[in-house]
Amino acid sequence: MNLKNSPLLLIIPLFFIAAADIRISGSNHAEYWVFVDKELDTSNYKEHLEDKLKLSVNYGDITLKGVLFLWSPSLSVQEKLNYLDYAAIYSKDAVNILYGTYYTTFGRGLALNAFLDEDFRIDNSLYGVKVDFKYLGSQLTLLSGEPRCIFFEENKYKIKNEEHTSDQIRGINFNTKLIPKTTLGSRYVRINQTTDLTPKAFTELFGGDIDFTIGPFDAYFEYARQWGSDDVIGGRVRGDGILFTTSFATPGLGISCQFMDYNDIGFGNPGYRYNEPPTPIKSGISVNRGLDEVGYGVSFIVSPLDFLTLELDHNKISTHDETVNKFKEIATISDNMDGVLEHVAKMTIYTTYDLEINGGVERVLKQGIELPIEKKIETKPNIELTYNFGSFFIETGYEHNFISSDTSDYYDHAAFFSIGKPELFVFTLRYERRNRIPEWLVEKYGDETAWPLAELSLDLTHRHNLRIRVGAEKGGLICSGGVCRFEEPLRGVKAVLTSIF
Amino acid sequence: MKKLLLIPILILYLSAQEIDFNVAPDFNLIDIDGNTVYLDSLLETGPVFISFWALWCTMCIKELDAIKPYYDELDSIGVNFLAISEDKMRSVPQVKPFARSKKWQYTVLLDPENMMRDLYNVRTMPTSFIIEQNKNIIFIHQGYKPGDEEIIVNKLYELVMKEFGHESEE
Repeated sequence: MNLKNSPLLLIIPLFFIAAADIRISGSNHAEYWVFVDKELDTSNYKEHLEDKLKLSVNYGDITLKGVLFLWSPSLSVQEKLNYLDYAAIYSKDAVNILYGTYYTTFGRGLALNAFLDEDFRIDNSLYGVKVDFKYLGSQLTLLSGEPRCIFFEENKYKIKNEEHTSDQIRGINFNTKLIPKTTLGSRYVRINQTTDLTPKAFTELFGGDIDFTIGPFDAYFEYARQWGSDDVIGGRVRGDGILFTTSFATPGLGISCQFMDYNDIGFGNPGYRYNEPPTPIKSGISVNRGLDEVGYGVSFIVSPLDFLTLELDHNKISTHDETVNKFKEIATISDNMDGVLEHVAKMTIYTTYDLEINGGVERVLKQGIELPIEKKIETKPNIELTYNFGSFFIETGYEHNFISSDTSDYYDHAAFFSIGKPELFVFTLRYERRNRIPEWLVEKYGDETAWPLAELSLDLTHRHNLRIRVGAEKGGLICSGGVCRFEEPLRGVKAVLTSIF
Repeated sequence: MKKLLLIPILILYLSAQEIDFNVAPDFNLIDIDGNTVYLDSLLETGPVFISFWALWCTMCIKELDAIKPYYDELDSIGVNFLAISEDKMRSVPQVKPFARSKKWQYTVLLDPENMMRDLYNVRTMPTSFIIEQNKNIIFIHQGYKPGDEEIIVNKLYELVMKEFGHESEE
């Protein structure tokens, strides 16, 4: 019997054991879109329907979880993605045993990072067995699993590692807090790929970390090494990654700094990674996800007065450049590098109980990131006001985005107005315009220059929220945690129903 | 495609029946100072308010800022506040400096593998829960709109009054 295809057999008997002691909970997220396809004329529409139902059943020390995902688009080439994930978990005292689909991160992700980001629609899971033992402030994790990387791009869900879903990942991770105020970690991950040219070849990632706290100071250092097989020429290739973060936190003031240097530590392929070395960039951009990157970040946040918060960020990541000295390589982006330099300044003022003002400026330089243009600088000032009156509130804001690139300069600007009532609704009107369209944008996003949008968010009950969006969305590069995608422009209607039970 | 529409409709119908299958799942998590926090231990001292938030979630931060003025009074009558950060491992170093700079007095917990988000079936950020001492989840709130904090705070006062009332009857 194939248990992977018969998870219901695991769930049904539980209902008959002791109904009174069973705890059931879950959620459902449904989306329905009707939109004009850019390749079709306006009388032709496409549809997108997706639903994700999560159900969790707990009885004593045993928990069963199921996720049913259905995606049914009306595409000219029929592509669908339907799957049923499940996990059976036994958890008692110091032991936790899981069989099924799971997510886990070793350290900060330099060696292994199987994660789910539902907001960004990325699902990097493992299917197999995971065992955790916890004892005296220490934790040992053993795992074995097959990876599956699902990603949403060009309005389609795709299994990015389709040819590698039968790869085997084995791992061991150990953390201990036996030394006061200090955590030590060590790990080993081995990936056996079925498509390696040399059948006995495999890839190993291993490393360790130390994390310590002294008063308001925290510091964390992680090192990882990859020993991999070369698909083309055979033999072993080596990569290294280091990550150092430190912070100072006291009421009213927080400072954090990070530094990273990655050389061939990213493992997977350009479309997916089994590990995901962190990027310092707030907007989530990385250069090549751990293949050849060096960067740092400094973040400063202060609330000198109860009604005022200031936030400053200075972050950079780029490829290495051996033609400049080490300091310049870390601190700047030379002409030979691909990279991102980001500056963010934000301010929040609570003038009275009823009025809040948020304002800021963000400047991002991208070099070799958004092809076909080589260099792009975006400068985005913005302001937002929120005002409560009676049982209603209004929110309004304006943002301007000056874009200067090696081929052309242009700007986008947008204004929005919202009115809402707590626990009932928010109605938003947004209008965005572009002053002119550079040629490279036309090829990618069409020749639109205006994007009007109306959105209604309704709290049907405490547990059900319905959002209906009508109009146009601009699209563009969006990123999260170092992973980026080009969001398709969209004209049409989107309805999203979220339920929790 | 039409069959797919049946799922959200079924969910709406089922939850409209007000079936009470909401007992708060147990958990223990590490806070930003490295201490382990157990739900069971907190419930021994009073009801628990949980808010799921993240550094990237503007509305989550607005919600926690909006509840801040009520913290001292509710804390003094036994309400426990948990702000569970759903930031991934890569953002964990920024959580403590951010929370401290905001002068939040809530217990800020770290959940970088999003196990709690999964355990409590959170799909929208922020989502908040109020758990009474007998472990029943009596209130779930998805999203945040200015003014929602008053509804949450009133619910907490109501709950504390109800529990005090029960004690005095006993």
